[in-house]
Amino acid sequence: MRNKRIKAAAALLAAMAMGGSLIGCSDGGGGGNSGDGGEVTLKILHNWNGSGAGDVEADLTPIAKAIQAKTGVKVKMDYTKGSEVEKVNQIFATQDLPDIYTGPAWGGELDGIVKAAREDQLVDLSGKLDAYPNLSRAIAKENVPPALYEKAIGAFGDQSYMLFQNQPLTDKDAMDWLYGFYVRKDIADQVGVDPQSVRTKDDLYAFLKKIKDADLKENGMPVFPLGGFSNGWAVGIGNTMFYGTEYLDQGGGTLEHVFFTKPYEDYTLYYRKLLAEGLLDPEAFTQTDPIAQEKIKQGRIAVLAAHLPAIIDASKDYVKAHPGSDYVPIGPLERAGAEPDRPVDLGIQGNNVTVITKACKNVDAALKLLEFLASEEGFKLVRYGIEGTHYDMVDGKPVAKAEFFDKFAADTTGKAKKNEGFATGFEDMTGQDRTNTLGGDIWADQERIAKMESARKILRPNGISVISAYNAADVMAKSPQWEELKPSMDKIGDVWKEAVFAKSDEAALDIIGALREQIKKTGYPEAIQYVNENLKGKEVVQLQMPN
Amino acid sequence: MRTNPLLKRIWRHRLLYLFLLPAVVWFFLFSYVPLYGIQIAFRDFRFSGGFTGSPWAGLKYFRQFFDYYQSSQLIRNTILISGLKLTIGFAMPIVLAILLNEIRNLKFKKTLQTLSYLPYFVSWVVVVTLMQRLLTPYGGPVNDLLVSSGLLKDPIQFLNNTSWFYQIVIGSDIWKNIGWNSIIYMAAIAGIDQQLYEAAKIDGAGRFRQMWHVTLPGVRNIAVILFILAAGSLMSAGYEQLLLLNGPATAAIGSVLDVHVIGAGIGEGRLSYAAAVGLFQSAIALVLILAVNRIARKVSDVSLF
Repeated sequence: MRNKRIKAAAALLAAMAMGGSLIGCSDGGGGGNSGDGGEVTLKILHNWNGSGAGDVEADLTPIAKAIQAKTGVKVKMDYTKGSEVEKVNQIFATQDLPDIYTGPAWGGELDGIVKAAREDQLVDLSGKLDAYPNLSRAIAKENVPPALYEKAIGAFGDQSYMLFQNQPLTDKDAMDWLYGFYVRKDIADQVGVDPQSVRTKDDLYAFLKKIKDADLKENGMPVFPLGGFSNGWAVGIGNTMFYGTEYLDQGGGTLEHVFFTKPYEDYTLYYRKLLAEGLLDPEAFTQTDPIAQEKIKQGRIAVLAAHLPAIIDASKDYVKAHPGSDYVPIGPLERAGAEPDRPVDLGIQGNNVTVITKACKNVDAALKLLEFLASEEGFKLVRYGIEGTHYDMVDGKPVAKAEFFDKFAADTTGKAKKNEGFATGFEDMTGQDRTNTLGGDIWADQERIAKMESARKILRPNGISVISAYNAADVMAKSPQWEELKPSMDKIGDVWKEAVFAKSDEAALDIIGALREQIKKTGYPEAIQYVNENLKGKEVVQLQMPN
Repeated sequence: MRTNPLLKRIWRHRLLYLFLLPAVVWFFLFSYVPLYGIQIAFRDFRFSGGFTGSPWAGLKYFRQFFDYYQSSQLIRNTILISGLKLTIGFAMPIVLAILLNEIRNLKFKKTLQTLSYLPYFVSWVVVVTLMQRLLTPYGGPVNDLLVSSGLLKDPIQFLNNTSWFYQIVIGSDIWKNIGWNSIIYMAAIAGIDQQLYEAAKIDGAGRFRQMWHVTLPGVRNIAVILFILAAGSLMSAGYEQLLLLNGPATAAIGSVLDVHVIGAGIGEGRLSYAAAVGLFQSAIALVLILAVNRIARKVSDVSLF
């Protein structure tokens, strides 16, 4: 009898343990906000892949605490690890919604937010924004790029769902990320090529070939002539040597998507050649960020294609250990369809769209928080820190305290900054970008500023020109065929990579040709006709460099 | 009043049924309850309408899939990869179980068995990361070893290479699952009446004959049942593994339905389309299970139902 009882008890315990593990597998749900003795806690999803506070508690930093003291809102930050587009779709499909969402103001991420707005997933802020001048100013028509206004910010008539951040307040606040090809100076010297003498696509090919032929090794491992960061970012930026922008004028103002044109084929075959001849890292399109960073830190990439701040950060350790191995700009390279003396055309716009989801139980608290962050006071707190602690105002300008400046400069991991609350996500909700108007980035070290200036002189000899013309892609997205067409158009990037890896030029062109047929089959001819009709007589973007 | 014999039987074996309960609850919650979501394959899914409130779309998304220029390639790749996994990977756990059964040193046998199913608990992310590190031609230990021992002249790009893709996919799948899948065969072997072995010995059967005439027939029934169940996964090649191992160079032979569904659903937000493709996979799987079950019943008298 006793044995039987023990058996029964053991069985029950086992069943409970298994049941418990089942329950443990399910998400407790929740999220949203909770009241705690008058204090409001809001969950913010910061939808930027790789962002985060590391092992720092983002809501316990001095800056987060100062924000809480000012607004009464405690922020629980959630970060995205993986695709931002997937994250947007996932939160709305599963209804696991944060109180506030902030993420990229472009691409599939923005498409997901627009869809969410149309499908009643977001809070309509139109009746409330009058009380929040900083938020209202940032989404006023004159302060938003026209294409973004038409597509998203102002696309809902009397209703208003989206807030907009980091649009430059003035021209001097515009951020040029200095995208380009950069070569390690010591390697350029070693192969005897002046990086500024490389101007054409043939020059670039010959330069990479010379590096390859030099058979360079780093710790016994080969040095790749050309490489990039994770998932191929931004190896493909050589496209601007082949075509000016995504929609090309075929004469008489008739636009055609570049994928259907000869320059696109040439661009693809050029990269295929680089890969086939061992000039391009074959892992560039599939590698994760840690592997990409490791290669750069080990000095195994001769030419990097990306924006300069990313290159400076990634190569910091190697350069420190090997003085003279800084990455320096190549070129400026030829730009298809552009006169040599033309300023570089850049699409400069704010990078963040912020929305309050329907799951938010305290919209007023959310708006209060966002309004504070978008104010000049909030901007300074998030970017410069606490006045008197992290910086002082000297002659009306912020000046970093030496103690923190030195600490941050010495820390290559960025943890010291995060400990104080910098770069933990708040900076993407600070309204219009006033960095230079208020006194610049006080934490940027002089060496970094000098590198940026030096690269700017080389890559922007005629300055920059901010694009204000219509973008055909935004009109295409409004065509009646778009829903059917979009899945095919979204394949272009993947198919380009597939073609680059094709066994022969013919096979590469076949891969492109197959997708062209599919795109046509899903409504492209009608959609491009719609684009051409709607843009007739209007100024359309014809040249654009990455930014 | 007569008591229901089924209830009586359940009450008699209540402890065993209690053990079964969590599995029944699990299947009910995670396999049966979500079935109502299938309807979005026939609806234009809207966040606001949800599963039941979105407008009906008929067969629109099924048509979209069959009109998609790579649909036949996706189906072909899926069947080929899962077919290879089924044919090669199915027999391996049986072989391992039989080999383990032949080990007489109990400690060694247990250690080996534990080691063989450890990889099952390692996620594909970790497995693929390990493979990237081990197999890279740029300083990877496998290539270094092959080159330094003179077996290779130049390092090989194992990953993201069509020539090695199937070997890598099938090999890593077997490595990861062989130990775990052999457990059920080990249990079946343990259940074989020892008198059969003794009788075989008396008849003069050696180790191999015993294995052939006693052990193999002893696991035959369970092998057939598992094969019928595995046939249902012919339209599913395993999304985690292929999501991680497939790249632009191998897209033509490595793109499979499972990854396509995830990409369309989560990546592009086309949930109705993804549900339609998923339902297509499931429908084929059901047909396959029924067909294989019928064939098995005719050929071997063993079947699921």
